[in-house]
Amino acid sequence: MVDVVRHDVVIVGGGGAGLRAAIAAVEADPTLSVALVSKVYPMRSHTVSAEGGAAAVPPGAVDDSLEKHAYDTVKGSDFLGDQDVIQYFVQEAPKELTRLEHWGCPWSRNPDGTVATRPFGGMQTPRTWYATDKVGFHMLHTLFQHSLRFDRIVRYDEQFVTKLLVDGGQCRGVVALDVRTGQVRAVLGRSVILATGGAGKVWPFTTNGNIKTGDGMSLAYREGVALKDMEFVQYHPTGLPGTGILITEASRGEGGYLINSEGERFLVSRDYGVGTKAELGPRDMISRAIIQEIEAGRGIKLPGKIGEYAHLDLRHLGKAKLEARLPFVLELSRTYAGVDPVTQPIPIRPVLHYMMGGVDVNIDGATVMPGLYAIGEAACFSLNGANRLGSNSLTELLVFGARAASHAVRFAKGSAAGNESALLEQTKAEGARIDGIRGRKRGGETLAGVRLAMNTTMESGTGVYREQASMQKAVSEVAAIKQRYAQVSLSDASKVFNTELTAMLELGNLLDVAEAVALAAVNRKESRGAHACRDFPKRNDGEYLHHSLVHYGEAGPRFSKKPVTLGTWVPEERKY
Amino acid sequence: MAEPKKKTIVVTRFDPDKDEAPRQQSYEIPVEPDWKVLDALNYIKDHVDPTLSHRWSCRMAVCGSCGMNVDGEPKLTCKDALSNHGDTVEVTPLANFPVVRDLVVEIEGFMEKFQKVKPFILRAKELAVDDGPTRQSPAELDDFRQFSMCINCMLCYSACPVISTEPDFLGPAAIALGHRYNLDTRDQGQAERNKVFREDGGIFACSYAGECSEVCPKHVDPSGAIQQAKLGNVIDWLTGLVLRRGDAR
Amino acid sequence: MSHSTPIVDAMKPSRPGATRTAPPRPPDGFPSRGNYRAYIAFGFGGFFLFTVSLLVLRSVWALGNGEAAWNRLQTSFQNPIYVLFHALAFLWLSWFILRLFRLFPATQPKRIGPFQRPPDALMVAGLSGAFVVVTLVVAAILWGAF
Repeated sequence: MVDVVRHDVVIVGGGGAGLRAAIAAVEADPTLSVALVSKVYPMRSHTVSAEGGAAAVPPGAVDDSLEKHAYDTVKGSDFLGDQDVIQYFVQEAPKELTRLEHWGCPWSRNPDGTVATRPFGGMQTPRTWYATDKVGFHMLHTLFQHSLRFDRIVRYDEQFVTKLLVDGGQCRGVVALDVRTGQVRAVLGRSVILATGGAGKVWPFTTNGNIKTGDGMSLAYREGVALKDMEFVQYHPTGLPGTGILITEASRGEGGYLINSEGERFLVSRDYGVGTKAELGPRDMISRAIIQEIEAGRGIKLPGKIGEYAHLDLRHLGKAKLEARLPFVLELSRTYAGVDPVTQPIPIRPVLHYMMGGVDVNIDGATVMPGLYAIGEAACFSLNGANRLGSNSLTELLVFGARAASHAVRFAKGSAAGNESALLEQTKAEGARIDGIRGRKRGGETLAGVRLAMNTTMESGTGVYREQASMQKAVSEVAAIKQRYAQVSLSDASKVFNTELTAMLELGNLLDVAEAVALAAVNRKESRGAHACRDFPKRNDGEYLHHSLVHYGEAGPRFSKKPVTLGTWVPEERKY
Repeated sequence: MAEPKKKTIVVTRFDPDKDEAPRQQSYEIPVEPDWKVLDALNYIKDHVDPTLSHRWSCRMAVCGSCGMNVDGEPKLTCKDALSNHGDTVEVTPLANFPVVRDLVVEIEGFMEKFQKVKPFILRAKELAVDDGPTRQSPAELDDFRQFSMCINCMLCYSACPVISTEPDFLGPAAIALGHRYNLDTRDQGQAERNKVFREDGGIFACSYAGECSEVCPKHVDPSGAIQQAKLGNVIDWLTGLVLRRGDAR
Repeated sequence: MSHSTPIVDAMKPSRPGATRTAPPRPPDGFPSRGNYRAYIAFGFGGFFLFTVSLLVLRSVWALGNGEAAWNRLQTSFQNPIYVLFHALAFLWLSWFILRLFRLFPATQPKRIGPFQRPPDALMVAGLSGAFVVVTLVVAAILWGAF
C-alpha cells in the first residue's frame, strides 16, 4: 500500500518564494488546502543567507519612479529580460515589501521612521530596502512565522521530491521521499508549484549552501519542460577565499572600494565600462574586471590558498558605520577569512552565486505543462535576462510567488482530480526505483569523485570568461560524467535518514542542470550580460536577441530558441 | 611538503534498524588548519564513511542546521574551528533531543513549542497595503532587534538544565521570539502571548541558569529575554487587574 | 563521558515520530560545570527558605507564649548547630543576592520611555555596594553599636 495525501495546491520548496506562494494561495481561497513539501525545514532554506537587500521604489519617493526601476532592470539584463515581466515586477514590488513590513519584517529605518534604502549595483537611485545586512534571514523568518497563522498550509518537512506525477499530460502531484523513514509518498494536488531554488553546487566555489542542487529544475526538465537561459549564471564579485562565502554587495553600496595588488581602485583608474558607478556597477562587469586584473598580474596571492584575489577595502567606512550597517560582514570576515574589516582589507574573488536561467515559465509562472508552475530562482520568467541586478531577486520571490499562486489556485479550482490509481502506480514504481538506488553497488566510481569531476569541468568550461573550445569540451565531458554517475557504488543501505541517498539523487539533478548550462552556453556565440565569450566579445542583437531553451532527450539534450518580449526600451549599448 | 596534521574524530552512530542504542565510532583523518568541525565531518562522509548522516547547509552560521555537541559543548559545527580542539574531538548529537540517526536529532518538539508563542504580528485590525509601511523609529527597532536574530539552531535547548527536568518548558528560543513580538511596535498581541507565557512550562519555569545565552552563536541573549518577559508579564497582569476594576465601576 | 538517561523528555513531540529514536542525552557537564553549579546552588536555596520559615514560625509561637518561652528560644540559638546553620544561610543569601544583582542588568529593557539603560557595570556596582553597606549597618545595629 502506497502512502498518499491529498491537497489542492502542492508547493515544492519552503524558501522565500514557496512560503509567499503558500500564503497567497490560502489567502486567495481559505477553503483550499496547500501542501508545502520541503527537503529541509523551511528556516534552513537558502533564502536565509541573502544579505544585501530587496529592491522596490519606496512609496512616496520623489527622485525615483517605477519607470526608472524598470529601465535599470532592463539595462542590467543586457536587454534580454522580458519587458512585460519587468513592468509588472516594478509595479508590485513596493506593495510586496510593504506587506512584509506589515507582517513584521524588521526593515532598517531612517530617523523619521520611514523605511531606509541603500544604493546597490546598477540602480540609478537608492531603492534597496534592507535589514542591516541580513535581509534574507529576516525575510525568510518573517514569511515562515507569518505562515504559521494558517492551518490550511500543511507542511511536509524533510521530504525529498524525486518525481512529478503526470497523468494525461497534466501535472497532478509529486512523489516525495520521506527522508526520515525512507518511504515514498504520493502528494496529490490539482496544481504544483516548483520553488526549489538554483543549482550553485554544480560549481566548486559558490556562495550557495549544500541544498542548492537544482532539484525542481531537474524535475520539470525530465518531464519535457524546457530550461531557459541556462548559460546565464551570475558570478558575485565578492566571495571569500576557499569557502566562497558571500560578502554582500551592500558593502560596496555603503562605500567600499575594490583594490588590486598595486593598491589602486581599478574600477576608477581603468576603463571597465562601469563609468562613474565604479564599485556599484552591475555584477557581471565587476566580476569580469576582477578576473582581468588577476590575469594582468595584479591579483593578490594568499599563502596556502589556490588562485588570486582582489581586496575589498572597508576600512575608511569606520568602525561605527560597519557595526551599524554591516555587522554580518564583520562577523563573516572574522570567522571565515581571519581578517577584521575594521583594520584590514578583505580578500575576495568572483564566485558562483545565482542562476538567471531556470524552468521556462510565462509571466504567470506557468510552464507549458498544465498544472505545473515554477517561481523564484528555480524559474526563468525572465525578469533578469542575461544579468541580474542585486536586490531584485528577493523582491522577485514575493511578486511572482504571489502571482503564480493565484494562477495555480485558479487552475486547481477549475481542474478535476486525476486518475488516482494510475498516479499511485507511478508512485509505487518510483519507490521501487529509489529502493534500487539505496546502497547499490555498481562500478568503481564514488559519489565524491563524480561530483568533483562535474565541478572541475563546469569551472573550466563555464567560468566568468568562456571559450567555444572549453564550452564544447564541457558539453562532451558532462555527457561522460553522466555515464560515470551510473557507475557510482554506494555504501549506506539504511532506510532511516539516509543522506548518502539524498546526495546521490541531488548529484543526478545537478548533472541535468550542468548539461543544460553547457549546451546553452556553447550555442550562444556572442557576449551578453554574464555570458562572456572570448571568441565573440561583442553583443550581437541581430542574431542572438533570443532566449535559449534546452530540452531533455534520451539521446542527449536538445537546443532551441525563444523570442524575447521587448517593450518600451530597445536594445542600446550597455555602458554605465 | 609537511605531512598534513591528523586528528581523531569520535562520532556517535545510531541506526534504529540496526543498533539497540547509540555507539561511538572513531575516524582518524588528515585535517587542514583552517577547517571547521563541519569540514571534518564532510571529509569523513566523502572519503571515509559515506554512511555518516548529519545535517548542514549554509556553512556560514545562518541556517541553523548544523548544531551538535562538540567535546561536550553545543556548537554550530560550521562555525567552530577544529583548531579549538585537541587531537581527539568528540562529536555527539545535540543534548536534550531524541536522536533519529547518527548526529541527526528530532526537532518536531521544538517546532511545536515554537508555534505555541504565536510568533507573528497580531493586530486588532489588519493593516492595508495601500497605507504603506508603518513608521517605526530606529530606537523602537533597536528595542527588539537583538531578539529577532535567532536562527533556530536550538543550541540553547541543548544547554538548558530546565529542559532536561521540566517536560512542558517552552524553552529559550521560543520565549525570546515571543518576547521579540511583544516588543515590536507593530504588534498588538501582548495580552494573548502573555497568557501563553503564564501557563505551566512558561517563562516562570526558567530559573536563570543563563547557560542558553552562553552558548547562543548569534548573541540573542534568550535568558535576558526571558527575565525581561517575566517583568513585563507581571506588570501586564497587574495592569490588567487594575483596569478590570476600573471597567467594573 | 558517561551520560545517564534524563528524568523527562521535554523535546519529545506530542505525537511519536515515524521511526524509533534514541533517548535524549542530558547536557554535557551537568551538574558540575559553571552555570549548572549556580543553577543547583540557586535551587538549593529552597532548603534554607524552608528551614528559616520553620524557625520564624517557632519564634512567633515563642513570642506569643510569654517571656520564659522567648528566653528559651534565645538560649537555644546559642547552640553551635544553630550558629553554623545561620552562618551558612547568610552566606547562601549573600551569594544569591549578589548573583541576582550581577544578572539584574540583563533583565532590564534597553530603554524605558526616553531613558536609556545605564551601563551594566554601574548598575551592578551600585546595587552590590548598597547591599554591602546596608548589611554592615544592620549588623552594627544588631551588635549593639548604636
